[in-house]
Amino acid sequence: MGFVKSSPASQCADLRTAYHDCFNRWFSERFSKGKCDKEECVAEWEKYRGCLAENLKEKHLRNILLEAEESYFPNKGHDGSRSCFNHQ
Amino acid sequence: MVRAYKHEHIYRHPWDRVTTASWRKFTDPDTPAVLSHVLDVHTLSHRLDAASGCLHTVRSITVRSPSLPFFLRRIIGGEAVVCHCIETSVVDPRARSMEIVAVNASLRGLIEVEERSSYQPHPENPEGWTLLRQDTSIRCKPFKALAAVAEKVEQRCVERFQQNSVKGREFVERICKYLEAESSAAAAGATAS
Repeated sequence: MGFVKSSPASQCADLRTAYHDCFNRWFSERFSKGKCDKEECVAEWEKYRGCLAENLKEKHLRNILLEAEESYFPNKGHDGSRSCFNHQ
Repeated sequence: MVRAYKHEHIYRHPWDRVTTASWRKFTDPDTPAVLSHVLDVHTLSHRLDAASGCLHTVRSITVRSPSLPFFLRRIIGGEAVVCHCIETSVVDPRARSMEIVAVNASLRGLIEVEERSSYQPHPENPEGWTLLRQDTSIRCKPFKALAAVAEKVEQRCVERFQQNSVKGREFVERICKYLEAESSAAAAGATAS
């Protein structure tokens, strides 16, 4: 029925905390204030995501994780006129 | 049958603070104590769209489900049933909009819950206040013979969902307050130096 008894991927808890701490700081200090001159927390995200890819067993969640990887660069070639990278 | 309800809440804090607090709602060190139904949260996808400047995120939120009637527990076979929800969000910092759609990924044969939330600057005080709008629909998909009981489960889900929703909003208020305190402390520090 698509549920499990334990929480998924608890092995990744520390990497998740590192990523969330970085993300929360970036979001509050830069992104939410319209200052997104560059994407941050990339290293933290890649480590955390790598851990999830290895340890996340729940099928539905795993599919979302893996699908997201395929569409990671969907906007190549787009006109960047609205890009927040060009606005600062 | 579908039960649907709407809710609006005004945060007397600016949009950037409220959206920051909304992100922290599930990742704060106090979360396990305050939102005890939340067992685990993972970010499954995180993408900053260079063309639009929008942040797209998908998270999984694992929650303890409401207690089910005995015979349903037997059908499902779990003692402590956990339920995975998928939360998809888009934040547009220039338009100052944050849209979140949360649906349950588990037990969809029995029940479908969808909660749509949007955080926007309040029209009467766009620099100081934020308006949260929430639309929730809960639909039970019963086996015919179980219809009457399913309705009870549905009612229980609605009640639980509303209780958790109130807890969530109160917690966001609390986080806003400490973010406010932090930013005035930082401002005071900057003036002093």
